Amino acid sequence: MRRSDRYRFYIILVGLVVLQFAVTVRLWGRPVGPDFLLLALLMYSIRAQPGRGAGAGFLIGLLRDALTPASFGAGALAHTLVGYLSAWGKAVFFAENVWVNGYLFFAGTWLRNLVVAVASGKLKGTMLGWELLVWSPLQSATTAVAGVLVLWLFGRHLAIRLGEA
Amino acid sequence: MALGADRYASRADTLVFIGCVLLSIAAMGLPDRMRDPFARALRQTVLAPLLALQQQTERLSASLERYDAVVAERDSAALAATFLAELRSENQRLRGLLGLGPRLGSGYVPAEVLHQAEPTNALTFLVAAGRKQGVKPLSAVVSPEGLVGIVSSVDAQTSVVVSWAHPEFRASVMAADGSVYGIVAPHGSEGPRAWLLELQGVAYSQLVPEGTLILTSGLGGVLPRGIPIGTVVAVAGEAAGWERTYLVRPAVHPAAVTHVMILTGPPLRSDLRSLFESGSPAP
Repeated sequence: MRRSDRYRFYIILVGLVVLQFAVTVRLWGRPVGPDFLLLALLMYSIRAQPGRGAGAGFLIGLLRDALTPASFGAGALAHTLVGYLSAWGKAVFFAENVWVNGYLFFAGTWLRNLVVAVASGKLKGTMLGWELLVWSPLQSATTAVAGVLVLWLFGRHLAIRLGEA
Repeated sequence: MALGADRYASRADTLVFIGCVLLSIAAMGLPDRMRDPFARALRQTVLAPLLALQQQTERLSASLERYDAVVAERDSAALAATFLAELRSENQRLRGLLGLGPRLGSGYVPAEVLHQAEPTNALTFLVAAGRKQGVKPLSAVVSPEGLVGIVSSVDAQTSVVVSWAHPEFRASVMAADGSVYGIVAPHGSEGPRAWLLELQGVAYSQLVPEGTLILTSGLGGVLPRGIPIGTVVAVAGEAAGWERTYLVRPAVHPAAVTHVMILTGPPLRSDLRSLFESGSPAP
Protein backbone atom coordinates (compact mmCIF):
# COMPACT_ATOMS: atom_id res chain seq x y z
CA MET A 1 0.00 0.00 0.00
CA ARG A 2 1.37 3.39 -0.98
CA ARG A 3 1.57 6.16 1.58
CA SER A 4 -0.56 8.43 -0.65
CA ASP A 5 -3.38 5.85 -0.57
CA ARG A 6 -3.42 6.04 3.21
CA TYR A 7 -3.52 9.84 3.12
CA ARG A 8 -6.43 9.82 0.69
CA PHE A 9 -8.24 7.33 2.89
CA TYR A 10 -7.92 9.55 5.97
CA ILE A 11 -8.88 12.66 3.96
CA ILE A 12 -12.11 10.91 2.97
CA LEU A 13 -12.75 10.03 6.60
CA VAL A 14 -12.18 13.64 7.66
CA GLY A 15 -14.53 14.73 4.88
CA LEU A 16 -17.21 12.44 6.31
CA VAL A 17 -16.70 13.90 9.79
CA VAL A 18 -17.12 17.42 8.40
CA LEU A 19 -20.26 16.35 6.51
CA GLN A 20 -21.75 15.06 9.77
CA PHE A 21 -21.80 18.58 11.18
CA ALA A 22 -22.53 20.39 7.91
CA VAL A 23 -25.49 18.41 6.57
CA THR A 24 -28.83 17.94 8.29
CA VAL A 25 -31.63 16.05 6.58
CA ARG A 26 -35.03 16.17 8.25
CA LEU A 27 -38.20 14.21 7.75
CA TRP A 28 -41.29 15.29 9.69
CA GLY A 29 -38.99 17.34 11.86
CA ARG A 30 -36.73 14.42 12.74
CA PRO A 31 -33.09 14.27 11.72
CA VAL A 32 -32.98 11.06 9.68
CA GLY A 33 -30.14 11.92 7.33
CA PRO A 34 -27.02 9.82 6.91
CA ASP A 35 -24.88 9.41 10.00
CA PHE A 36 -21.58 10.33 8.37
CA LEU A 37 -19.65 9.96 11.62
CA LEU A 38 -20.77 6.36 12.02
CA LEU A 39 -20.08 5.83 8.32
CA ALA A 40 -16.50 7.01 8.86
CA LEU A 41 -16.16 4.61 11.78
CA LEU A 42 -17.53 1.69 9.75
CA MET A 43 -15.28 2.47 6.79
CA TYR A 44 -12.30 2.61 9.11
CA SER A 45 -13.13 -0.45 11.19
CA ILE A 46 -13.87 -2.80 8.28
CA ARG A 47 -10.36 -2.06 7.06
CA ALA A 48 -8.66 -2.27 10.44
CA GLN A 49 -8.08 -4.90 13.08
CA PRO A 50 -10.94 -5.45 15.56
CA GLY A 51 -9.02 -3.88 18.43
CA ARG A 52 -8.46 -0.68 16.51
CA GLY A 53 -12.08 -0.71 15.38
CA ALA A 54 -13.21 -1.02 18.98
CA GLY A 55 -10.85 1.74 20.11
CA ALA A 56 -11.96 4.09 17.35
CA GLY A 57 -15.58 3.30 18.15
CA PHE A 58 -15.04 4.04 21.82
CA LEU A 59 -13.46 7.44 21.08
CA ILE A 60 -16.16 8.44 18.59
CA GLY A 61 -18.89 7.26 20.94
CA LEU A 62 -17.41 9.22 23.82
CA LEU A 63 -17.30 12.39 21.71
CA ARG A 64 -20.93 11.88 20.69
CA ASP A 65 -21.90 11.30 24.30
CA ALA A 66 -20.56 14.77 25.07
CA LEU A 67 -23.14 16.10 22.59
CA THR A 68 -26.09 14.06 23.87
CA PRO A 69 -25.61 13.73 27.64
CA ALA A 70 -28.92 11.87 28.03
CA SER A 71 -27.13 8.75 26.90
CA PHE A 72 -23.64 9.36 28.28
CA GLY A 73 -21.62 6.17 28.05
CA ALA A 74 -24.24 4.39 25.98
CA GLY A 75 -22.87 5.93 22.80
CA ALA A 76 -19.36 4.82 23.68
CA LEU A 77 -20.59 1.28 24.33
CA ALA A 78 -22.63 1.19 21.13
CA HIS A 79 -19.86 2.51 18.91
CA THR A 80 -17.33 0.17 20.55
CA LEU A 81 -19.54 -2.81 19.74
CA VAL A 82 -20.20 -1.63 16.19
CA GLY A 83 -16.52 -0.89 15.57
CA TYR A 84 -15.39 -4.26 16.90
CA LEU A 85 -18.13 -6.33 15.27
CA SER A 86 -17.77 -4.68 11.88
CA ALA A 87 -13.99 -5.28 11.89
CA TRP A 88 -14.47 -8.86 13.06
CA GLY A 89 -17.43 -9.50 10.77
CA LYS A 90 -15.60 -8.10 7.78
CA ALA A 91 -12.70 -10.45 8.47
CA VAL A 92 -14.93 -13.49 8.75
CA PHE A 93 -17.93 -12.96 6.50
CA PHE A 94 -17.85 -10.01 4.18
CA ALA A 95 -16.57 -9.99 0.64
CA GLU A 96 -15.26 -6.94 -1.19
CA ASN A 97 -18.66 -6.04 -2.57
CA VAL A 98 -20.19 -2.61 -2.47
CA TRP A 99 -23.70 -3.92 -1.79
CA VAL A 100 -22.54 -6.16 1.03
CA ASN A 101 -20.88 -3.08 2.48
CA GLY A 102 -24.21 -1.28 2.09
CA TYR A 103 -25.92 -3.94 4.18
CA LEU A 104 -23.14 -3.60 6.74
CA PHE A 105 -23.71 0.16 6.95
CA PHE A 106 -27.45 -0.42 7.43
CA ALA A 107 -26.96 -3.08 10.11
CA GLY A 108 -24.26 -1.07 11.87
CA THR A 109 -26.42 2.04 12.13
CA TRP A 110 -29.43 0.11 13.35
CA LEU A 111 -27.36 -1.83 15.89
CA ARG A 112 -25.82 1.41 17.15
CA ASN A 113 -29.27 2.94 17.67
CA LEU A 114 -30.52 -0.24 19.35
CA VAL A 115 -27.65 -0.29 21.85
CA VAL A 116 -27.89 3.45 22.56
CA ALA A 117 -31.65 3.28 23.04
CA VAL A 118 -31.51 0.23 25.32
CA ALA A 119 -28.33 1.06 27.25
CA SER A 120 -29.37 4.65 27.97
CA GLY A 121 -32.58 3.34 29.56
CA LYS A 122 -34.42 6.50 28.55
CA LEU A 123 -36.51 5.04 25.72
CA LYS A 124 -39.05 2.34 26.49
CA GLY A 125 -42.24 0.86 25.17
CA THR A 126 -43.81 2.72 22.27
CA MET A 127 -41.02 5.26 22.04
CA LEU A 128 -38.48 2.47 21.75
CA GLY A 129 -40.63 0.72 19.16
CA TRP A 130 -40.97 3.83 17.02
CA GLU A 131 -37.28 4.49 17.33
CA LEU A 132 -36.20 1.00 16.32
CA LEU A 133 -38.87 0.20 13.75
CA VAL A 134 -39.40 3.57 12.07
CA TRP A 135 -36.75 6.20 12.67
CA SER A 136 -33.71 3.94 12.96
CA PRO A 137 -34.44 2.01 9.73
CA LEU A 138 -34.91 5.33 7.92
CA GLN A 139 -31.61 6.64 9.25
CA SER A 140 -29.93 3.29 8.55
CA ALA A 141 -31.20 3.35 4.96
CA THR A 142 -29.97 6.87 4.29
CA THR A 143 -26.63 6.01 5.88
CA ALA A 144 -26.33 2.88 3.74
CA VAL A 145 -27.17 4.82 0.57
CA ALA A 146 -24.62 7.49 1.45
CA GLY A 147 -22.03 4.80 2.19
CA VAL A 148 -22.62 3.06 -1.12
CA LEU A 149 -22.30 6.41 -2.91
CA VAL A 150 -19.02 7.12 -1.13
CA LEU A 151 -17.71 3.69 -2.07
CA TRP A 152 -18.87 4.19 -5.64
CA LEU A 153 -17.18 7.57 -5.89
CA PHE A 154 -14.01 6.88 -3.92
CA GLY A 155 -13.83 3.09 -3.86
CA ARG A 156 -10.36 3.05 -5.37
CA HIS A 157 -8.98 5.16 -2.53
CA LEU A 158 -10.81 3.16 0.12
CA ALA A 159 -9.60 -0.26 -1.05
CA ILE A 160 -6.79 -0.52 1.49
CA ARG A 161 -5.94 -2.71 4.49
CA LEU A 162 -4.90 -0.64 7.47
CA GLY A 163 -3.60 -3.70 9.29
CA GLU A 164 -1.02 -4.40 6.59
CA ALA A 165 0.88 -1.18 7.11
CA MET B 1 -12.26 -12.15 -1.17
CA ALA B 2 -12.90 -13.17 2.42
CA LEU B 3 -10.09 -12.42 4.78
CA GLY B 4 -8.85 -14.89 7.33
CA ALA B 5 -10.21 -14.34 10.79
CA ASP B 6 -7.11 -15.76 12.39
CA ARG B 7 -5.05 -12.90 11.02
CA TYR B 8 -7.34 -10.29 12.56
CA ALA B 9 -8.73 -11.41 15.89
CA SER B 10 -5.69 -11.47 18.13
CA ARG B 11 -5.69 -11.58 21.91
CA ALA B 12 -4.68 -7.91 21.99
CA ASP B 13 -7.79 -7.02 19.96
CA THR B 14 -10.00 -8.85 22.40
CA LEU B 15 -8.34 -7.13 25.37
CA VAL B 16 -8.77 -3.69 23.76
CA PHE B 17 -12.42 -4.49 23.06
CA ILE B 18 -13.08 -5.63 26.62
CA GLY B 19 -11.27 -2.59 27.96
CA CYS B 20 -13.38 -0.23 25.84
CA VAL B 21 -16.59 -1.97 26.91
CA LEU B 22 -15.62 -1.69 30.59
CA LEU B 23 -14.72 1.99 30.18
CA SER B 24 -18.07 2.60 28.46
CA ILE B 25 -19.96 0.94 31.30
CA ALA B 26 -17.95 3.00 33.77
CA ALA B 27 -18.87 6.16 31.83
CA MET B 28 -22.56 5.23 32.07
CA GLY B 29 -22.24 5.01 35.82
CA LEU B 30 -20.48 8.35 36.25
CA PRO B 31 -22.32 10.78 38.52
CA ASP B 32 -23.39 14.10 36.97
CA ARG B 33 -20.76 16.09 38.85
CA MET B 34 -17.99 14.08 37.17
CA ARG B 35 -19.71 13.54 33.83
CA ASP B 36 -20.63 17.16 33.08
CA PRO B 37 -17.11 18.69 33.41
CA PHE B 38 -15.71 15.89 31.26
CA ALA B 39 -18.34 16.36 28.56
CA ARG B 40 -17.90 20.13 28.75
CA ALA B 41 -14.13 19.79 28.26
CA LEU B 42 -14.70 17.69 25.14
CA ARG B 43 -17.20 20.19 23.74
CA GLN B 44 -14.85 23.11 24.35
CA THR B 45 -11.78 21.46 22.81
CA VAL B 46 -12.06 18.65 20.29
CA LEU B 47 -15.66 19.31 19.32
CA ALA B 48 -15.55 23.12 19.35
CA PRO B 49 -14.64 23.62 15.66
CA LEU B 50 -17.18 21.01 14.57
CA LEU B 51 -19.93 22.61 16.64
CA ALA B 52 -19.00 26.00 15.20
CA LEU B 53 -19.32 24.49 11.73
CA GLN B 54 -22.73 23.06 12.60
CA GLN B 55 -23.84 26.43 13.97
CA GLN B 56 -22.79 28.18 10.75
CA THR B 57 -24.59 25.55 8.69
CA GLU B 58 -27.80 26.03 10.67
CA ARG B 59 -27.51 29.79 10.22
CA LEU B 60 -26.97 29.39 6.49
CA SER B 61 -29.98 27.10 6.26
CA ALA B 62 -32.11 29.58 8.20
CA SER B 63 -30.87 32.42 6.00
CA LEU B 64 -31.89 30.56 2.86
CA GLU B 65 -35.33 29.90 4.30
CA ARG B 66 -35.67 33.55 5.27
CA TYR B 67 -34.53 34.59 1.80
CA ASP B 68 -37.32 32.53 0.24
CA ALA B 69 -39.80 34.07 2.66
CA VAL B 70 -38.56 37.58 1.88
CA VAL B 71 -38.82 36.95 -1.85
CA ALA B 72 -42.35 35.63 -1.40
CA GLU B 73 -43.28 38.65 0.71
CA ARG B 74 -41.75 40.99 -1.87
CA ASP B 75 -43.76 39.35 -4.65
CA SER B 76 -46.89 39.58 -2.53
CA ALA B 77 -46.16 43.22 -1.78
CA ALA B 78 -45.63 43.98 -5.46
CA LEU B 79 -48.96 42.40 -6.25
CA ALA B 80 -50.68 44.18 -3.40
CA ALA B 81 -49.12 47.53 -4.31
CA THR B 82 -51.86 48.00 -6.85
CA PHE B 83 -54.32 48.13 -3.93
CA LEU B 84 -52.93 50.48 -1.28
CA ALA B 85 -55.53 49.65 1.34
CA GLU B 86 -54.79 45.98 1.01
CA LEU B 87 -51.06 46.76 1.22
CA ARG B 88 -51.55 48.61 4.50
CA SER B 89 -53.54 45.73 5.85
CA GLU B 90 -50.86 43.29 4.74
CA ASN B 91 -48.12 45.38 6.38
CA GLN B 92 -50.07 45.49 9.61
CA ARG B 93 -50.46 41.74 9.58
CA LEU B 94 -46.77 41.20 8.84
CA ARG B 95 -45.81 43.50 11.71
CA GLY B 96 -48.00 41.40 13.94
CA LEU B 97 -46.12 38.29 12.83
CA LEU B 98 -42.67 39.73 13.45
CA GLY B 99 -42.10 37.10 16.06
CA LEU B 100 -41.59 36.45 19.67
CA GLY B 101 -38.25 38.25 19.98
CA PRO B 102 -39.46 41.84 19.70
CA ARG B 103 -42.33 41.07 22.07
CA LEU B 104 -39.91 39.78 24.66
CA GLY B 105 -38.03 43.07 24.34
CA SER B 106 -34.87 42.05 26.19
CA GLY B 107 -33.54 39.34 28.44
CA TYR B 108 -33.39 36.59 25.85
CA VAL B 109 -30.75 34.94 23.68
CA PRO B 110 -31.63 33.38 20.32
CA ALA B 111 -29.85 30.11 19.58
CA GLU B 112 -29.68 27.44 16.93
CA VAL B 113 -30.45 23.87 18.02
CA LEU B 114 -27.53 21.56 17.22
CA HIS B 115 -29.39 18.30 16.72
CA GLN B 116 -27.44 15.04 16.79
CA ALA B 117 -28.26 11.81 15.00
CA GLU B 118 -28.88 9.68 18.09
CA PRO B 119 -32.12 8.27 19.49
CA THR B 120 -31.93 10.31 22.70
CA ASN B 121 -31.49 13.61 20.85
CA ALA B 122 -35.02 14.76 21.70
CA LEU B 123 -34.38 14.35 25.43
CA THR B 124 -31.26 16.48 25.73
CA PHE B 125 -29.73 18.57 22.99
CA LEU B 126 -27.15 21.28 22.47
CA VAL B 127 -27.93 24.89 21.57
CA ALA B 128 -25.43 27.32 20.08
CA ALA B 129 -25.37 29.85 22.90
CA GLY B 130 -23.48 29.65 26.13
CA ARG B 131 -21.92 31.58 28.96
CA LYS B 132 -20.51 34.25 26.65
CA GLN B 133 -24.02 35.02 25.43
CA GLY B 134 -25.30 35.27 29.00
CA VAL B 135 -26.96 31.88 29.30
CA LYS B 136 -27.23 30.48 32.84
CA PRO B 137 -28.21 27.06 34.15
CA LEU B 138 -31.97 26.60 34.70
CA SER B 139 -32.85 29.26 32.11
CA ALA B 140 -36.13 28.59 30.32
CA VAL B 141 -35.83 27.59 26.66
CA VAL B 142 -38.82 28.59 24.53
CA SER B 143 -39.99 28.71 20.95
CA PRO B 144 -42.81 30.93 19.67
CA GLU B 145 -45.23 28.06 20.43
CA GLY B 146 -44.21 27.53 24.05
CA LEU B 147 -41.77 25.86 26.44
CA VAL B 148 -39.14 23.55 24.95
CA GLY B 149 -37.12 22.81 28.07
CA ILE B 150 -34.62 24.07 30.62
CA VAL B 151 -30.88 24.74 30.35
CA SER B 152 -29.07 21.99 32.18
CA SER B 153 -25.43 23.01 31.90
CA VAL B 154 -23.60 25.87 30.22
CA ASP B 155 -20.31 25.96 28.32
CA ALA B 156 -18.57 28.97 26.85
CA GLN B 157 -20.33 28.81 23.47
CA THR B 158 -22.94 26.08 23.87
CA SER B 159 -25.48 24.88 26.41
CA VAL B 160 -27.15 21.57 27.16
CA VAL B 161 -30.95 21.72 27.20
CA VAL B 162 -33.12 19.16 28.97
CA SER B 163 -36.37 19.07 27.02
CA TRP B 164 -39.82 18.43 28.48
CA ALA B 165 -39.59 14.87 27.09
CA HIS B 166 -36.76 13.95 29.46
CA PRO B 167 -37.98 11.52 32.14
CA GLU B 168 -36.70 13.82 34.90
CA PHE B 169 -38.39 16.98 33.61
CA ARG B 170 -40.94 18.59 35.94
CA ALA B 171 -42.61 22.02 35.86
CA SER B 172 -45.11 23.79 38.05
CA VAL B 173 -48.09 24.75 35.91
CA MET B 174 -51.61 26.18 36.01
CA ALA B 175 -54.65 26.33 33.82
CA ALA B 176 -54.84 29.49 31.72
CA ASP B 177 -57.61 30.91 33.94
CA GLY B 178 -55.60 30.19 37.10
CA SER B 179 -58.26 27.88 38.51
CA VAL B 180 -56.10 24.77 38.70
CA TYR B 181 -52.47 24.27 39.66
CA GLY B 182 -50.35 21.15 39.29
CA ILE B 183 -47.14 19.61 38.08
CA VAL B 184 -46.45 18.47 34.53
CA ALA B 185 -44.15 15.60 33.72
CA PRO B 186 -43.60 13.42 30.65
CA HIS B 187 -46.43 10.91 30.35
CA GLY B 188 -43.94 8.12 29.75
CA SER B 189 -42.97 5.95 26.87
CA GLU B 190 -45.59 3.22 27.11
CA GLY B 191 -48.61 2.90 24.85
CA PRO B 192 -49.85 5.09 22.04
CA ARG B 193 -49.68 8.23 24.18
CA ALA B 194 -45.91 8.57 24.22
CA TRP B 195 -44.64 12.08 23.62
CA LEU B 196 -47.46 13.55 25.68
CA LEU B 197 -47.20 15.30 29.01
CA GLU B 198 -49.33 14.63 32.04
CA LEU B 199 -50.73 17.14 34.50
CA GLN B 200 -50.44 15.65 37.97
CA GLY B 201 -51.63 16.61 41.40
CA VAL B 202 -55.01 18.07 40.46
CA ALA B 203 -57.65 17.64 43.14
CA TYR B 204 -60.46 15.25 42.21
CA SER B 205 -63.07 17.95 42.63
CA GLN B 206 -61.36 20.27 40.13
CA LEU B 207 -62.32 19.35 36.59
CA VAL B 208 -60.08 20.55 33.77
CA PRO B 209 -62.02 20.65 30.49
CA GLU B 210 -60.53 19.31 27.29
CA GLY B 211 -58.80 22.09 25.35
CA THR B 212 -57.70 24.00 28.43
CA LEU B 213 -54.40 25.77 27.84
CA ILE B 214 -51.75 24.88 30.42
CA LEU B 215 -49.15 27.51 31.31
CA THR B 216 -46.19 27.64 33.64
CA SER B 217 -47.26 28.98 37.03
CA GLY B 218 -44.02 30.67 38.06
CA LEU B 219 -44.09 28.84 41.39
CA GLY B 220 -40.68 27.64 42.46
CA GLY B 221 -38.92 30.52 40.77
CA VAL B 222 -37.29 28.50 37.97
CA LEU B 223 -39.66 29.10 35.06
CA PRO B 224 -41.37 32.47 34.52
CA ARG B 225 -45.15 32.53 34.75
CA GLY B 226 -47.26 32.26 31.62
CA ILE B 227 -45.21 30.19 29.16
CA PRO B 228 -47.51 27.79 27.25
CA ILE B 229 -46.82 24.12 27.94
CA GLY B 230 -49.64 22.50 26.02
CA THR B 231 -53.35 21.73 25.87
CA VAL B 232 -55.36 19.25 27.91
CA VAL B 233 -56.62 16.43 25.68
CA ALA B 234 -58.04 13.81 28.07
CA VAL B 235 -58.12 12.39 31.57
CA ALA B 236 -55.18 10.03 32.06
CA GLY B 237 -56.28 8.52 35.33
CA GLU B 238 -57.88 8.92 38.73
CA ALA B 239 -56.45 8.04 42.12
CA ALA B 240 -59.09 6.67 44.45
CA GLY B 241 -61.36 9.67 44.33
CA TRP B 242 -58.87 12.27 45.53
CA GLU B 243 -56.74 13.14 42.50
CA ARG B 244 -56.99 13.26 38.73
CA THR B 245 -54.22 13.18 36.16
CA TYR B 246 -54.71 14.77 32.75
CA LEU B 247 -52.97 14.21 29.44
CA VAL B 248 -51.51 17.34 27.89
CA ARG B 249 -50.58 17.71 24.24
CA PRO B 250 -47.29 19.67 24.24
CA ALA B 251 -47.17 23.01 22.47
CA VAL B 252 -43.92 22.15 20.75
CA HIS B 253 -42.00 18.97 19.93
CA PRO B 254 -38.31 19.25 20.86
CA ALA B 255 -37.12 17.23 17.86
CA ALA B 256 -38.84 19.62 15.48
CA VAL B 257 -37.40 22.92 16.70
CA THR B 258 -34.42 24.37 14.88
CA HIS B 259 -34.19 27.71 16.70
CA VAL B 260 -35.05 28.61 20.27
CA MET B 261 -34.91 31.55 22.61
CA ILE B 262 -33.29 31.26 26.01
CA LEU B 263 -34.73 33.56 28.65
CA THR B 264 -31.68 34.98 30.42
CA GLY B 265 -32.89 37.89 32.51
CA PRO B 266 -35.82 38.82 34.67
CA PRO B 267 -38.91 39.11 32.44
CA LEU B 268 -40.28 42.56 31.65
CA ARG B 269 -43.73 41.31 32.60
CA SER B 270 -44.76 39.20 35.54
CA ASP B 271 -46.90 37.04 33.25
CA LEU B 272 -45.54 36.14 29.80
CA ARG B 273 -48.68 34.59 28.34
CA SER B 274 -49.53 37.55 26.13
CA LEU B 275 -46.11 37.33 24.46
CA PHE B 276 -46.92 33.90 23.10
CA GLU B 277 -50.24 34.92 21.59
CA SER B 278 -49.60 35.40 17.87
CA GLY B 279 -50.05 38.94 16.72
CA SER B 280 -49.65 40.54 20.11
CA PRO B 281 -47.82 43.86 19.88
CA ALA B 282 -44.27 44.48 21.06
CA PRO B 283 -44.04 46.26 24.42
